[in-house]
Amino acid sequence: MKSNGLSKELARIVGEDGVLWRGEDLMLYEYDALSSMRQPDIVVFPRNTEHVVQIVKLALRHNLLLVARGAGTGLSGGSVATEGGILLVFSRMKQILEIDLENQRARVQPGVVNLDLSLAVADEGYYYAPDPSSQKACTIGGNLAENSGGPHTLAYGVTTNHVLGLEVVLPDGEVIHTGASHWDRPGYDLTGVFVGSEGTLGIVTEATVRLSRKPEAVKTLLAIYNQVVGATRTVAAITARGITPAALEMMDGFTLRAVEEATHAGYPMDCAAVLLIEVEGLKEAVEDHADEIEAVCRENLAREVRRAKSAEERDLLWKGRKTAFGALGRITPNYYVQDGVIPRTRLPEMLEFIGSVEKKYELHIGNIFHAGDGNLHPLILYDERDREQTARVVKAAKDIIMRCVEMGGSITGEHGVGLEKSDLMPLIFSEVDLDLMGRIKTLFNPQGRLNPGKLLPTGKMCGELRGGLTGGGAL
Amino acid sequence: MTLVVDSVRAELAALAGPSQVLTDPAACAGLAVDGKVPDCAVAPAKAEQVAAVLRYAGEHHLAVIARGNGTKLSIGNPPRRYDIALSLRELNRVIHYEPADLTISVEPGITFGEFQDLVGRDGLWLPLDPRGGAAASLGGIIAANAAGPLRQGLGGPRDMVLGLKIATTDGKIAKTGGRVVKNVAGYDLGKLLTGSFGTLGVIVEASLKLFPKPPERATFTVQAGTLGIARDLRRRILRSPLDTLRLVLLDSPATALLGDSAEARERPGAELWIEVGGSHRVIERCMFELRHLASAVGAPLARREEAEEAWEHISNLAHWLRQKYRDLTVLKAALPVAASEEFLSRAQQEAEAERIALASFAQVGVGIVHLCALQGTLSASLAGLVARLRQAAVDLGGRLVIEHCPVDLKSGVDVWGAGCDDLAAMRKMKSVWDPTEVLAPGRFVGSI
Repeated sequence: MKSNGLSKELARIVGEDGVLWRGEDLMLYEYDALSSMRQPDIVVFPRNTEHVVQIVKLALRHNLLLVARGAGTGLSGGSVATEGGILLVFSRMKQILEIDLENQRARVQPGVVNLDLSLAVADEGYYYAPDPSSQKACTIGGNLAENSGGPHTLAYGVTTNHVLGLEVVLPDGEVIHTGASHWDRPGYDLTGVFVGSEGTLGIVTEATVRLSRKPEAVKTLLAIYNQVVGATRTVAAITARGITPAALEMMDGFTLRAVEEATHAGYPMDCAAVLLIEVEGLKEAVEDHADEIEAVCRENLAREVRRAKSAEERDLLWKGRKTAFGALGRITPNYYVQDGVIPRTRLPEMLEFIGSVEKKYELHIGNIFHAGDGNLHPLILYDERDREQTARVVKAAKDIIMRCVEMGGSITGEHGVGLEKSDLMPLIFSEVDLDLMGRIKTLFNPQGRLNPGKLLPTGKMCGELRGGLTGGGAL
Repeated sequence: MTLVVDSVRAELAALAGPSQVLTDPAACAGLAVDGKVPDCAVAPAKAEQVAAVLRYAGEHHLAVIARGNGTKLSIGNPPRRYDIALSLRELNRVIHYEPADLTISVEPGITFGEFQDLVGRDGLWLPLDPRGGAAASLGGIIAANAAGPLRQGLGGPRDMVLGLKIATTDGKIAKTGGRVVKNVAGYDLGKLLTGSFGTLGVIVEASLKLFPKPPERATFTVQAGTLGIARDLRRRILRSPLDTLRLVLLDSPATALLGDSAEARERPGAELWIEVGGSHRVIERCMFELRHLASAVGAPLARREEAEEAWEHISNLAHWLRQKYRDLTVLKAALPVAASEEFLSRAQQEAEAERIALASFAQVGVGIVHLCALQGTLSASLAGLVARLRQAAVDLGGRLVIEHCPVDLKSGVDVWGAGCDDLAAMRKMKSVWDPTEVLAPGRFVGSI
C-alpha cells in the first residue's frame, strides 16, 4: 500500500495531525540511542487504546509491520523500524490516569515519562523506583518493553518488580488485561512475560505500577581510588558485610575526567576510579551502613571517602553519573556501549581484561558500571568515518561480551537484546531454549509483524553484534 | 488395566532406574491428589530422567503431577486425569553456590529447611516464609509462587528467581534467565513458570538471588481491638519511614486461636503482628516509632519474645490448623492493600450469617487475606459462604482462591474463580508447553 493511501487511513483514526509521512519528518525516527538504521514508512501518534486497536487492525488488513516506540532512548535498537512499516509513537499517550497512594500504585499510559511519574507523587513522599539514566526522557512504555534498570535497581529490582498489571493490544487487535491492581491474581504471569518482551508480543497501552515510599534518610558516599582494583574489590567486600546499598556505581578515571569537564560535579580529576555509593532507609541504619562502608573502602585502599553534605551535592554527583555517556560523547565522534553482566566477585578480573582489550585493539574504553550488580557499561570510543577503527571496535566489543559469557554472565543486563544483540543470543541460549522462545513469540505474533528482527536471532549472522555501530546518544 | 500399569512401571524403571519407581499401592495412595490415586510413582535422580518421563507420558497419553513434598498440592481443581506421581525429592543437589555473589543454583527437591540452613551459615537467607515451611521443597515454592507474610519485606519467589531449567513435555530441558542478578536477555519465562503450579513444565534447576540476613529481628503486637483501629494503625505504619518485614492482622477468632495466654483466649480482639529487622539501634528506633503510632490510635504495644512459633503458624496456616480441624477450609483473598480490613469485616458478617467459625489472618501490607473456616460443615453452607466471600473480594477489586478444603467441596466450585479476558492467552500458552495435557490436567485456572 502506498504511504499516501495509508496516511489517509491512519488520519481517519487519529486525525490529520497524528500522522507523519514526509521524508524529512521520518528522518527523526530512523534511529534510537544505538544507531541510525532506517526510516519507518509512516509514523502515527495514537491518543488512546481504541486508536491503537484500530491501527493494529489496519496493519493486519494490509499485512504491514508495526513497531512501538516511546522516546527512542533505547540502547539496543529496539524501537527502530528496521524493516520499515508503521511506527507507533506514544508521546501523546502520556496521561497518569490514576494515583492511588493508599494502595501504593499508579495507572499510567505508556507515554508517561519515567521521571514525571516520580515527580507527580514526590510531594506525598512517594516515587517510582526504576530509574534508568535516561529517566528525564524515557517513557514507562519503553521501560516495560526493555525491562529497564538503573542505578537504584541494586536494592529495589528492575522494572518487572514494580509492575502489577498491563493492558495489551495483541497483533490481531484483541485487548487483554494481564495481572491486576493487586498481588497474586490466579493464572499464568503474563505480565512477567510481556515485560521485557521488547515489543515483540503485544503493544502495552496501559500499566499499573507500584509506587514506593521515599526513604527517611539517604547518604551518598564518593570513594576515590588511585588504583582501579581497590574499587572493584570494595564492591564484593561491601556485600560480604551483609550490606545492600541502594546504589553502588563505578566510574574509571578516564570517564571521570570527561564527566567533570562536562558537569563540574566535584569529581577528582587525578584518580584511577571512584565508587558512588548510596545507602537509604531509617536514619540509624543509614548512619551505621555509611560508617561501615567507609571503613571497607579504606581497607581496600580508597585514598579518600567523601560524603555529600547536602541534597544539592548529592544531585550533582548523580547528575555526573547519569550524564556520563553524554560527557564521553563530547570527546568522541561516536561511542559504543556494552551492557554485559558478570558475577560481581569477578569485577577485578574483568577490569583487567577490559584493559587488555583496550591495548590489544588500540582503543579508548571508558568504564561506567552498575558495579553492585555486576552490570558493565564499557564505552568504546571511535570515529565511524574510520572504517578500520570501527572494525576493531566490533572485535573488542565481541571479546568483552564473550568474556562475560565465559564468566557465567549475560549479554544484557538492562538495555535489552533488541536488534543489536539478537544474533548473540545463541551464546547463552541453546537451540532448545531459543526454539521455545520462538514458539511463544509465534503464539502472540504469528505473522511476525510486530517489531520484526528484534530479540531472537535472525539466523543470518549467528554470534555477531549487529547495529552498524553508529551510536552516540546523549544518555 | 493392570497389564498397562505394569508396562508403564517397566518403562519408568527403564527411564529412571528400577529403584526410583514406586509400585506399592499403599504408598501410591499416599500420593493421591484430591482423592485421585496415581497408578505409580517415579522419583528420578537426574534432570534428564525427568524430561524422559515427561516425554514418555506425552507419547502414551498419561497424566503426570509433579510434587516436591506435597505441602501445596491441595491448591488446585481436581485433576481430570492422574497416572504418574513425579516426585522431585531425589533431585536435590546444590549445583552452584557463590555466597559472595549472593546467588545459588539448586535442584528442586531440596527442602526449604535444608536450603536455609545451608545459606544461613554464610549469614544469608531467602526471605520467604512459604506455606509448607521447612518441609516445602524449593521447586514447589517456586511452582506455587508461595510467598508468606515476609513478602511485605523483600518480595516473593517471583522477585527472587534469576533463572530456571525446565523439563518440557517434549522431553527436552530448556533454560530461561541465568545466574547473575541482572539479566534481560530473552523472554522472562522464569516469571511465567513461577506460580504456574507445574502445569507448563517441571522445574529441574533454579537459580536464586540471596539476601543478607538482618542481624536482629523483633516482633511487636498491638491490641487494636477493632478492625477500624487496626486499619488506622496499618495506614500509619505504611506511611511511616519504617520498613517492616511482616505485618499481619489477626481478627478476634484468629487472635484466640493463636493465643498463647488464657487472657488472649478469653478476651480476644483484633491484633496486629509486626516484625522488623536490622541492627540493635534500628530495632530500638522501630520500637519507639511503633509505640508512638500505636498510642496515637489508643492501642497498647507489646514486644513478643520467642515469636517464631507463632509466625510459623501464621505462615503455614493450613498445616497448623489441619492438625486440629479435619475439615478445614482455607481461602485466600488477594485485594488492593486498602481493602483488607473492609474485606475482613464483610467476611465476619457472612460467616456469622452462615454460623461458620471463621478465623482471618491478613497480610495487610500486601492485601493478602487468609480466611480459615474451622468447623466441619455441610458443604452446601460452605459453598454458599465461599461464593459470597468471592463476590465480596471481587466487589473490593480483588480475587479469592480456595487453597485448602474438603475434596467434596471442589466438585461444585472452581477453586480459582472465573478467568479474565486473558484466559484465552493463558490457554494458548499452555498449548505451547503442553499440547497433549500431560501436566496436571484440569488443575489450574480455567481448568487448564
